Amino acid sequence: MMRLYRSLVFRERKLARKRTLLMLILFLLVALLMLMPLLSGVSMEPGEAAPVEMILLLVGTVSLTGGAMAGGNNGVQKADISAGWKRYSFVLPPTAKQQAFADLLAKLCDVLLFGLLSAAVAMAYSVTTGYDASGLMVNIYLGAVCVVMLVDVVYSYILMFAKTKQDLAIVGLIALVGVSLVMLVLDFLSNTIKLPDQPAQGGALISDAAFERFVTALSAGRTTLCVTAVSVVICALYFLVMWRSHERREP
Amino acid sequence: MTAYENAIEIKDVTKRYDGFTLDNICFAVPKGCIMGFIGQNGAGKTTTIRSLLHITDIDSGEIRLLGLDHIKDETAIKQRIAVVFDELPFHDVFTAKDMARILEGMYPRWDHAVYAQYLERFQLPTKKKIGQFSKGMKMKLQIACALSHDAELLIMDEATTGLDPVVRDEILHIFMEYLQNGERSILMSSHITSDLEKIADMVTFIDKGRILLTGYKDEILEQHGILKCGKDALAEIDAADIVSIRTNSFGAEVMLHDREAASYKYRDCVIDPATLDDIMLYYVHRDRKEWS
Repeated sequence: MMRLYRSLVFRERKLARKRTLLMLILFLLVALLMLMPLLSGVSMEPGEAAPVEMILLLVGTVSLTGGAMAGGNNGVQKADISAGWKRYSFVLPPTAKQQAFADLLAKLCDVLLFGLLSAAVAMAYSVTTGYDASGLMVNIYLGAVCVVMLVDVVYSYILMFAKTKQDLAIVGLIALVGVSLVMLVLDFLSNTIKLPDQPAQGGALISDAAFERFVTALSAGRTTLCVTAVSVVICALYFLVMWRSHERREP
Repeated sequence: MTAYENAIEIKDVTKRYDGFTLDNICFAVPKGCIMGFIGQNGAGKTTTIRSLLHITDIDSGEIRLLGLDHIKDETAIKQRIAVVFDELPFHDVFTAKDMARILEGMYPRWDHAVYAQYLERFQLPTKKKIGQFSKGMKMKLQIACALSHDAELLIMDEATTGLDPVVRDEILHIFMEYLQNGERSILMSSHITSDLEKIADMVTFIDKGRILLTGYKDEILEQHGILKCGKDALAEIDAADIVSIRTNSFGAEVMLHDREAASYKYRDCVIDPATLDDIMLYYVHRDRKEWS
């Protein structure tokens, strides 16, 4: 069984290699940019308060970028339809479930890779400033993975209806419309979350107290638990969509 | 492993599309045989193959491969069969070496040594990207992959179409070798009937979604004959003996169902043996009876 998954995951990784490499370069550039303050000599004196806003911004940006890259569509499904592998996969021994599980494993490889890199950046800040940003990083990272993976689930579900190269153009367009709708819904939901009505000072968008509460909530273990639970649900959804996609026969 | 008499058994299979129906088709490929599956473009060859491979669902009927149900025992079947399509379904970025790495995990009986032998025999580079292969090389790679896991049944859909005669001949030769142990079978769809005349033991002829002929190739060729006569002599030929008539400026050529009986019945006429191409051509025009 291990041999089978090794083969399936190797195929996916090899196909997505170019994309992963490109994402990795982009991520490292962003990470490098975010590490500039550290590299240019920001260090903490004993007893000095950590610049939480800056850490939140820098670690948050790196985690968001990493999460978005890890959760995004790797283009394998589309390439399989285009090359004719999708049809060929019906005559190969792996079952739809095994293929879907391999898809999920390949996705989790990306999540792990970018997660580790994001964690390395967060750790660099923690070590230098003494402010533990690991909770913040994990929650932002997993949150970004969840949102982008949810978009991928919708995209993959719609793409399932394409069987040939010819179908790809129209189904790809429908998938983009579907994804845009999901983005609109997510945007609407995020706008309905009300921030505390405390007045901010000095032209800031949010008051210090509200910001503190926001950061505390974002770094909390409870949030980690919630985001992890959502991640598990989205991974299950992704598996189900891929399973259905591999199982679905041509008309 | 189940014992079986027929590598493929298709019983009363129907698949309806808008404008085309695979209509109640039945045929069998005995173990150890090469079955040629012929018919013009759009006759239903690919639909039949897609149905038996469960690429598409059928509306009714029963399909058994290697003695097993084609849906219930799908995984077991697919470990023991190999399929070659008319176009290479592998990604351009892969190499022959990558394909071995991918397929070895999927097939329990994958044999690296056999694969390497085929690559060497076909002179296929192991590290060159598939996208840089010629059409002949792509087909050879697909065949090398198909023959390297000791498959008992090889199914090919127009695999030799578009290849030059030298490559086709080489490939046909490999198939003959592959069948030598008597335990393996091949279903080969093609509209290049000359290939099938060379290697097929049996032939099934499909037209407009219906099986018109199925049986041993030599028997089919022996049974059919082309009677050549003048247009005025046509009236003397019994309509029940005729498949269809091809007329030209010199006279008529009549495809007959039973050459032996006809040779006694129409002693004054010359009856030539028919090729698979002729049989296909005359059967396709059977509804019009007379054509030119």
